Amino acid sequence: MNIVVVEDDVLLGHHFERTLKKAGYNVASSPHALGAIRLIDETKPAVIVLDMLLTGSTAMPLLHELQSHDDLARIPVVMVTSMAADLSLETLKPYGVRYVLDKTTMHPDDLVAAIRSVSL
Amino acid sequence: MIDYRSLSSLTIAAHELKSPLALLRQLALSLETGDLLEVERREVARHMKLVSERALRLTTDLTKVQRLEDGLFELEPINPQQLCEEVVWELSPLYKACGRELVLAPRQRPLLAIANKDLLRRILLNFADNALYYADETSPVELSVSSRAQGETIRLGIRDYGPALSIDTWRSLHDTALRPEQLYARPGGSGLGLVIACQFAQAMNGSVGATRHRDGATFHVDIHASRQMSLL
Repeated sequence: MNIVVVEDDVLLGHHFERTLKKAGYNVASSPHALGAIRLIDETKPAVIVLDMLLTGSTAMPLLHELQSHDDLARIPVVMVTSMAADLSLETLKPYGVRYVLDKTTMHPDDLVAAIRSVSL
Repeated sequence: MIDYRSLSSLTIAAHELKSPLALLRQLALSLETGDLLEVERREVARHMKLVSERALRLTTDLTKVQRLEDGLFELEPINPQQLCEEVVWELSPLYKACGRELVLAPRQRPLLAIANKDLLRRILLNFADNALYYADETSPVELSVSSRAQGETIRLGIRDYGPALSIDTWRSLHDTALRPEQLYARPGGSGLGLVIACQFAQAMNGSVGATRHRDGATFHVDIHASRQMSLL
């Protein structure tokens, strides 16, 4: 199963990639939305792992872009952010976000569990 | 989105430190699980060291910002090219861990600047740290030293190659981070480091600025040139 990770902190992106690869997923990462679009087109991921604050922008333009294409709009998004306390899953659901993880309290296994739950 | 303009400097600093602390916690948890290979354990430990150093740079900068009012930072003639070499050496492990490269443009003729070495070093570390977020894997981030204004000013610039910032983001960054009257404000998604760099530059009678390119950006600091070279 292919996963695309969009995380602008390269070292955290490496960590997510290592965690997901150990769980048996194929992972491609991008630090910014532009690169993510290319990876999503190339790999047709089952799930997108997305940070809220990206380099030079928020995740919202990318979420809008995904929602504007029928095939991409169906890909579930797991949002991993340190702003989880300020975000509401209900507000983000129309943008394809199915799970919000808090970077400051999550365990590495929580990411795998979230991906399993949204890709069922 | 968090409106940084309505937050105190303490809150901004706390938010800025949240990211490295959250990453350190994630890395520590992955070590604790014990299912990493030896080579992975070494890599995680190395990353923890680099993230800690990055966070400590910010805390040290914040301490120094508080001390700027004391005016205890002496200015002296320094070789900016040599200082840039030291910055490249210091940040190379972090850049390497992130799959990026930091290089210094070669220079034939040496220049002398009037600056506080520690403050200028911290400005360059801030710019280079910020560039790490924007730089593409395919092109190195480049430090350069040049003479401006008929030799009156020396410019130290850091050029990154990556996706261009949107005009809105750029305006927000430029208006907020580089305007001295709003030093404690910052736009969402940019670095507190840029705001700190602005204060450090002013303490040396210098200034910081930025140029947006089609394929990235250059952040620079301008400081006065030393006249000692003209006496040689």
